Amino acid sequence: MSRKIASQWVCYLAVAALALGMQGHRASASQLLPPGFRPLPLGTHALTGGRIVIRPGEVLTNGTLVIREGRIAAVGKDVAPPADARVWEMKGTTIYAGFIDLYLPLEATNSAAASAPGEAAAGDGLTASGPRFFGVPGAQPDRGPAGPGYAVAGITPERQAVRSYAPKAAALAPMHALGFTAGLVAPARGIIRGTSALVALSGDAPNAVVIKPEVFQHIGFTPMESAERVYPSSLMGVIAAVRQAFFDARYYALDQADYQQNPQARPRPEFNPALAALAPAADRKQLVAVEPGSVLMADRAARIARELGLDFCLIASGQEWRRPDLAQATGAAFIVPLDFPELPSLPDEDDWEQVQLDSLRAWDWAPENAAVLRQRGLEIALTTWGLADKKKFRPNLRRALDRGLAEVDALAALTTVPAKLCGVASQLGTLEPGKLAYLTVVEGGSYFDPEAKVREVWIDGRVYPVPGEERGAAQAGASQSRTAAANKPKPAKAAADNPGERRRALQKTRLARSPLEGRGPLAEPKAILIEQATVWTCGPEDRLEDADVLFVGGKVKAVGKGLSRLSPDGDPLLVIDGRGRHVTPGLIDAHSHTAILGAVNESSLPSTAMVRIRDVVNSETANLRRQLAGGVTLVNLFHGSANPIGGQSCIIKLRDGAGPEDLVFDAAPPGIKFALGENVKQSGWGDRFVTRFPQTRMGVRTLIANRFIAAREYLARREQASGRSALPPRRDLELEALGEVLQGRRWIHCHAYRQDEILMLIRLMEGFGVRIGSFEHALEGYKVADEIARHGAAGSTFSDWWAYKFEVYDAIPYNGSLMRDRGVLVSFNSDSSELARRLYTEAAKAVKYGGMPEVEALRLVTLNPAKHLHLDARVGSLEPGKDADFALWSHSPLDSRTVCLQTWIEGKKYFDREQEAGRAAQLQAERAALLARAQKLAKLASGGGATSEEAKNSFFRVALEHEFDGCDRRELEE
Amino acid sequence: MRKFISHFRFERAGLPATFNRRRFASPPGRARALTFPRRRGCLSLCGAVWLAALTPGVAAESLLLSGATVHTVAGETLAPGQVLIRGGKIAAVGQTVPADGAAQVDLAGRHLYPGLIALNTALGLTEISAVRATQDSTEVGDDFTPDVESGIAVNPDSELIPVARANGITSFEPVPQGHLISGQSALMAADGWTTEQMTIRNPLALHLFWPSRELDFTPKEKARNRAQWKSLADQDQKRRARLRAIADFFAEAGAYARAKDAAARGQALALEIIPAWEAMLPYVRGERPVVVHADEIRQIKAALAWAETQRCRIILAGARDAWMAADQLAARKIPVLYGHVHTLPARDTDPYDVHFRAPAILHQAGVRVAFTLGEGSFDAAMIRNLPYLAAQAVAFGLPEAEALKGLTLYPAQCAGVAGRLGSLEAGKDATLFATDGDILDIRSRVQRMWIAGREVSLESRHTRLYEKYKNRPRPE
Repeated sequence: MSRKIASQWVCYLAVAALALGMQGHRASASQLLPPGFRPLPLGTHALTGGRIVIRPGEVLTNGTLVIREGRIAAVGKDVAPPADARVWEMKGTTIYAGFIDLYLPLEATNSAAASAPGEAAAGDGLTASGPRFFGVPGAQPDRGPAGPGYAVAGITPERQAVRSYAPKAAALAPMHALGFTAGLVAPARGIIRGTSALVALSGDAPNAVVIKPEVFQHIGFTPMESAERVYPSSLMGVIAAVRQAFFDARYYALDQADYQQNPQARPRPEFNPALAALAPAADRKQLVAVEPGSVLMADRAARIARELGLDFCLIASGQEWRRPDLAQATGAAFIVPLDFPELPSLPDEDDWEQVQLDSLRAWDWAPENAAVLRQRGLEIALTTWGLADKKKFRPNLRRALDRGLAEVDALAALTTVPAKLCGVASQLGTLEPGKLAYLTVVEGGSYFDPEAKVREVWIDGRVYPVPGEERGAAQAGASQSRTAAANKPKPAKAAADNPGERRRALQKTRLARSPLEGRGPLAEPKAILIEQATVWTCGPEDRLEDADVLFVGGKVKAVGKGLSRLSPDGDPLLVIDGRGRHVTPGLIDAHSHTAILGAVNESSLPSTAMVRIRDVVNSETANLRRQLAGGVTLVNLFHGSANPIGGQSCIIKLRDGAGPEDLVFDAAPPGIKFALGENVKQSGWGDRFVTRFPQTRMGVRTLIANRFIAAREYLARREQASGRSALPPRRDLELEALGEVLQGRRWIHCHAYRQDEILMLIRLMEGFGVRIGSFEHALEGYKVADEIARHGAAGSTFSDWWAYKFEVYDAIPYNGSLMRDRGVLVSFNSDSSELARRLYTEAAKAVKYGGMPEVEALRLVTLNPAKHLHLDARVGSLEPGKDADFALWSHSPLDSRTVCLQTWIEGKKYFDREQEAGRAAQLQAERAALLARAQKLAKLASGGGATSEEAKNSFFRVALEHEFDGCDRRELEE
Repeated sequence: MRKFISHFRFERAGLPATFNRRRFASPPGRARALTFPRRRGCLSLCGAVWLAALTPGVAAESLLLSGATVHTVAGETLAPGQVLIRGGKIAAVGQTVPADGAAQVDLAGRHLYPGLIALNTALGLTEISAVRATQDSTEVGDDFTPDVESGIAVNPDSELIPVARANGITSFEPVPQGHLISGQSALMAADGWTTEQMTIRNPLALHLFWPSRELDFTPKEKARNRAQWKSLADQDQKRRARLRAIADFFAEAGAYARAKDAAARGQALALEIIPAWEAMLPYVRGERPVVVHADEIRQIKAALAWAETQRCRIILAGARDAWMAADQLAARKIPVLYGHVHTLPARDTDPYDVHFRAPAILHQAGVRVAFTLGEGSFDAAMIRNLPYLAAQAVAFGLPEAEALKGLTLYPAQCAGVAGRLGSLEAGKDATLFATDGDILDIRSRVQRMWIAGREVSLESRHTRLYEKYKNRPRPE
């Protein structure tokens, strides 16, 4: 109680002092506290004899630093301590500008009671799916916070961390021990999370500690986790929700302004504090800090931020080493954690068998991540965020320095960079006169010696000693930690025997290779001539025996017999002996989920037309290589089939090694996934899922019709508004995508099984004047093949799947042949990361069932999917002018004994069977070396390795990019 | 998340009341093979169309199949050769054999193979993966239910069986699944009016699903079911306990067998009959094989160490990593039912073709490799593709003759029926089929089939629907 009163007093006095500050340096009488309180110290100090690091790279030995009224008044060699100053002997210490931690989640700093309500608002903000833009509401009650707000769960930009900041002493002491004087208190849960505040880590009254109340708007790419499936439940959904929210914020400002102008001539707009709060970020008046969670999403975050016109910085995932090129391309400043994975202690020696190379790589690369970013010219700020044990910060920083991070950069990352990012560079970050007196004082020559103790920090001109040696005796019982032990003086020669030092020495060099190594084109000749092969052109020439194919500049130049060995432009020619070999166009998988980051479905709402697979293309998955080894060069990535109206699809070429955007093949109008039947009516979702509309095939039609009517209205309103001064309709990403379907600019690819639903969609879409691109699976397509053919849709089917659910009990392997006989354009797809590796033998099944001619059968996985994806001008056959995407085979591609020997994309070789054994051997050797080191280190650490749950977790955290590598992914969705 | 969505397809669903299978009802495919059709354009269906019209009947007394390339499997391939069938058995195989008045079947240009044997499958125990009411493959219980038998639960009218048969599968082993010891399997013919008539051998083997050694590293806060989350130490304890439980169970079963023998010799009191221990008798006595299901190398090694202590014959099923222990498996003469040719590599250091090559590596070490698609429900629907697992292994180094043995003779040996099935040799059952090409080539079609001398129909739900909709009049 008394402490509270005191802090109110201090708070009042601070304001008063500030007001008086301009008038002079005389100690103000208002520093007089009521009787009973300990009097406050005077505000003038002179720190003499220390080594003063004025800014990174600029050091003053034996200088004096004068503090007056909380600010640095003077600093220099010849500065004399003022007469009214308390003089502090700093000999043997190094004084830095106070360190700033740029990412302190509220929950970590607040006392338990204070953090609960504040954080809950974002974390459990299960605002029911409002009917605004994403379709039809579920039947769940609104469990979101009471009062106005945004309709999407987790979008709470109006939250201000500053309003619920209530520091607890226990959270501050460890920060002081690390030298931190200020921190950015941030909301760390939800999607658009709210604003952060820069605060002094002084434990003063809340009003006194706030340096800057609103610093960044925070965004996290974290799907809402909820058993009820709240939108957005997927990574791609999060991105769609973020984009929509910013469009809404812009619209909100216009709408409000419009209302101000004509309050009586239009309907009253709704009040939305969330959208109002987004305005500063949307107007580039506030930096947006994005926590993307992975390096691929850092790339995406940068693209989204550029699209939305935002200024941004990024919170590093710690795994930017996976794709430093993408990190570099963001051009953003990174807030970098130092929470390195720690070796687990495993129950049994043979449990190491379970450790994958990627985990070992992540462990070995982690300390180098900061240096990787810096070497790419990116600004970095360091944070203690993510460390379960904050004491690990300095040893880990030492490891980062061992791995190439320069000390001057590390210091900048603790001082000048964070000050600049927060927009307080004139106040903090260096030890220049006029700046706030935030100091970090270390015993000895350098903070970067983890043994050198932080003696004290100064915050707002007041000293906060770090308890330790001088009070060591009293504290010894409380702290048995390694750091405390290390602080005791000990002989220098002991360092070599110190297990910590031995561990450090063992980890100074990196064994792990970059995951980018060995990826990318294996060969890029200007021209290629394959001679005397069996050429399956898949074009009008069908199959040519003993024929040649010439590829020049990434394109097919000529196909025929006896082509000249002279390259047309005199370029060097790579000649491939094709005798006994077969050449086919690169295979096309028209239905795949193989390279999608995170969930394949945004399975919350019945219409998710606003989500885009393109936002979550996973360029790092091992699936790309495995499918290249099966002759596949192009893949159509679909949203799953959880919703009648799914997300927007994305076509990629398997240019393994390229970043996500460079995989995208943009040569055709894009697609959107629809789905019908058991999946969308949630037949197999379990007993809880019985309330989302639709639950029947009747309702599926009703829903799709509803959304298209809405889209038609949307287009009409947009049309009306264009060219007039009136406010245009609010941009709606769902209806925009469906509007593109209505305009013929986006193709529907609809998952469908039963004949009735196929016919339903044909008639429904004909009513809207829309031609459907394809029916996916279409396993009863053979029953209505005439109707499909007449409508003009393609049938992209499985060769022979059946009986896995009731609606496919009538699936037959003759489906492809029967549909083709009735004039449907047919293709075979995989819908499976495993099956995609052998599409060629799937094609052979069309010969077996229904007797399709062989050249036609191969077209099922080449030209036909190219046609129905509207890519046949570029790919699908070996015809002059088309892309040089091809595969070389040991036997006929329809022969089960065939082996794919090489796969080329646009004249570049991406797979060569002869190099595969060597590649695997190299990876295995790398793993063995890493494992040996890990086991040695685990033995060095007492008790085997890390025993805390957090440490184990971080070691075994599977990278988002590789989460599904060993999985078929077919179960995920059809 | 991953787990949840996998339910889209596989979770339960009700069978609608409108479901009416009478429309497609037909007796088990069985036909009198006394008359023979003219050659038809559509080879794959020529059998189905006419056989469907015939009434079931007895097998032909005597048939001479001639003109075909005879893949005897046991001996050399005869191109062409003749096979004489009498009384349901193969009476003779050779380049020419005396006709003895047998009805002639002209199979010129065709290939004759012994029937394919699909071990380790849910065929017969499942119909539609997502419809729970159709699932009979997995029992619950306290880890040990050796007295559960699969053969009696096979649905002879499952639509999946004729589909399998149409691609050469003439017998199959429905496998009881569940926990450590799930029960006993049987070998069934892919044809018959009743389960009794279908049964070839029962019981065939005991099924032991080796406990996993893999630790679940999911942190507690991320666990799907936090109440069931276990620390690494707890998991370690549990897996040790499970290994002990297996050893104990077999030791107790052995004690029961000895007590029973002693009682029979009058050296001990008569025992109360305990069904589970009774079921274990043939296995602790070494009379019938135990199929150990294990995929990961540490499981396989643990199972091998355990097998040293047992009298029974061991067959390794699943066996994803068996290639890493090829020499040990060969030395102990343990055959492998390889079920992972079409499984994605499990380790990020594995070459892309690791499982394509595994059968060849095992063969080179001297291990007999039979093929299995796996015991899942969807695998049962897809079992007709069994030969193409072998074909994929051929593409990656397995000799073709071995691939064929892996579909016929080796599974017959595993099932203990090599005296009756698995090759075309005099004295064996006349269970064979004719194709228009290499059975390892997907493009080949099965055209005729005999099971124990009876010609069977190759018609299925698929061919019936094909015929029906092929003939759908074009709408106006």
